[in-house]
Amino acid sequence: MRVGWFLAYRQIKRSGKWTTGLIIFIMVLTFLNLVVVSGLLVGLISGSFKQFREGYSGEVIITTATGRDYIENTPALIGFLENHPWVEALSPRYGAGAQVLGTLTDLPDKDKRANRINIRAVGIDPIREEALTHFSRFIMTGENLVSGEEGGVLIGANMLRKYSSFADANIPGLDFLDDVDVGSRVRVTLTQKDGIVQKDFIIRGIVKSKVDEISTRMFMLDKELKRMLAINQEQVQEIAIKTDYAKAGALVSDIKNFMGDYEARVQTTDEAIPSFLRDIESTMNILGSALSSFALIVAAITVFIVVFINAVTKRKFIGIMKGIGISPSAVQFSYIIQAFFYGIVGSCIGLLLTFGVLRPYFDAYPINFPFSDGILVATLTGAGVRVAILLAVTLIAGYVPAKLIVRKNTLDSILGR
Amino acid sequence: MLKTEKLVKAYGEGELRLVVLKELDIEIQDGEFVAIIGASGAGKSTLLYQLSLLDDPTSGEVYFDGIRTANLTEMEKTELRLHKLGYVFQDYALLPELNAIENVALPILMHGCSRAEAFTMATSALERIGLADRKNNLPSQLSGGQQQRVSIARAIAHHPKILFADEPTANLDSGSARVVLDAFLDLHKEGQTIVMVTHEEEYAHSAHRVISLKDGTIMSDKTQSRHSAKT
Repeated sequence: MRVGWFLAYRQIKRSGKWTTGLIIFIMVLTFLNLVVVSGLLVGLISGSFKQFREGYSGEVIITTATGRDYIENTPALIGFLENHPWVEALSPRYGAGAQVLGTLTDLPDKDKRANRINIRAVGIDPIREEALTHFSRFIMTGENLVSGEEGGVLIGANMLRKYSSFADANIPGLDFLDDVDVGSRVRVTLTQKDGIVQKDFIIRGIVKSKVDEISTRMFMLDKELKRMLAINQEQVQEIAIKTDYAKAGALVSDIKNFMGDYEARVQTTDEAIPSFLRDIESTMNILGSALSSFALIVAAITVFIVVFINAVTKRKFIGIMKGIGISPSAVQFSYIIQAFFYGIVGSCIGLLLTFGVLRPYFDAYPINFPFSDGILVATLTGAGVRVAILLAVTLIAGYVPAKLIVRKNTLDSILGR
Repeated sequence: MLKTEKLVKAYGEGELRLVVLKELDIEIQDGEFVAIIGASGAGKSTLLYQLSLLDDPTSGEVYFDGIRTANLTEMEKTELRLHKLGYVFQDYALLPELNAIENVALPILMHGCSRAEAFTMATSALERIGLADRKNNLPSQLSGGQQQRVSIARAIAHHPKILFADEPTANLDSGSARVVLDAFLDLHKEGQTIVMVTHEEEYAHSAHRVISLKDGTIMSDKTQSRHSAKT
């Protein structure tokens, strides 16, 4: 092994810089392919999860239990959460199904539908919501709700034909409000168990996000919606909680312990994400790995060819080394070290680029997809696995051609036969 | 020390069979300087490869220090070459990526010596052939004669029992060739056993004993009285 190291070090040190640089460059590209391709594909979905978490749900979300209309024991629960050391912010939200009528001045023609949509109305405290999600960043036009200033609503852009991304899709059952914009007066109707409640509001602003819960809902002050609800006015329908991601599971346990027999669904955001989305994430991971495997094959072939050509052109010298007593395994080992060198240097540069440049870049400037902001999902563990795979493949690709050449007859190699 | 019995080397089969060495019986003793001479195709290099265990005979035996080499495995032959034999090749055969001292130290490292020990021995070998001041030069920075002398240093650094040289002056001008031959003579004076193949009679007569080959057969085997090679 010492002789192998001795040979390899000097061969690397005194080899052509451009050739060495090119091979390392190929290794870097292969590594990036291994990590970045699958990372971006997974990031398409993970980006939407991240946006959902940061833009709506927080790390823990409490919703109504199956068959219930509200979260039981809401006031005590909110008190508990406000005093919990792990809770960084929370936003209790009222929710109810509502109808919004966009045209108040004219009756619709007999053969035309009214300018009306069904929508989920959400009552929020603007200050709490801002602390949780920086809600104001979703306002594309108009202004935010202000505590104490009643009579205004924010409406999701996808519910307005003028702003919706789906306006030209002509999907049956998908309705939009026409001619509604900031400043328009709309009539909100809540259908309750003991009758309907109606009230007119002014559109204060229009909100838009890739999070569906933002772009397809209507937001008003929590106190206003609370007054429109007939019963159980102290019980909310949803509480979003911001906490450390690593502590989310433990916080869920604490909340459940506090709730005892009171009914509510308490989940981390990861648990709340539908399984089909998780399946899509897994599929993207598999797809990314499959695509990356092609890059791995290319890298293996490249290393094989480089080592093979190197060994073939030095076949005479390999024969001479064997002739003067250098063991074949020492010669083979020197080529394996060279292949390993290409792999390890390429991987190190790839790691630096991935975690030092690409991941921060995509975090700051995600890829703009219609349904999510695509981020680069890359973990040190995952990258470490890929480094190990790349090195293993590189070692094999270096060993095989070296073995093929070194095992040739010594005298034939010396004489070039 | 080195002995052959009815050594035959043939290539091919049937009508294409070519017998290069025809039942040669040779003995080489410690301290001899033997030159093997002959025209091109006489079988000189083939004989050298048999004596130096780089090739196997078709029939017959080669004995080294009483050991029948046909019984040795490939690994054992490699070990024997490493510890007991030294080689000087026709075209120097230095590794281009290693400088002079590294080329000389390489086989010493295989012996298990530390890097420091190997380089000390390599420096000593280079001093013996007068090239210690060029130890850090790459082969491309050395003349042909200097490269051949480095090759000699590599061959003797581990104090082999026999030094084999295959046409060591073939690619050198007469001046450089003379320098190389003087190196061999100096080594011989120190007791080194040398077997050298050459087609130059002038250089062959620098040796203590001259074996003349023709068509794979020994035509003559003369021990000559030594005279100064430094004419």
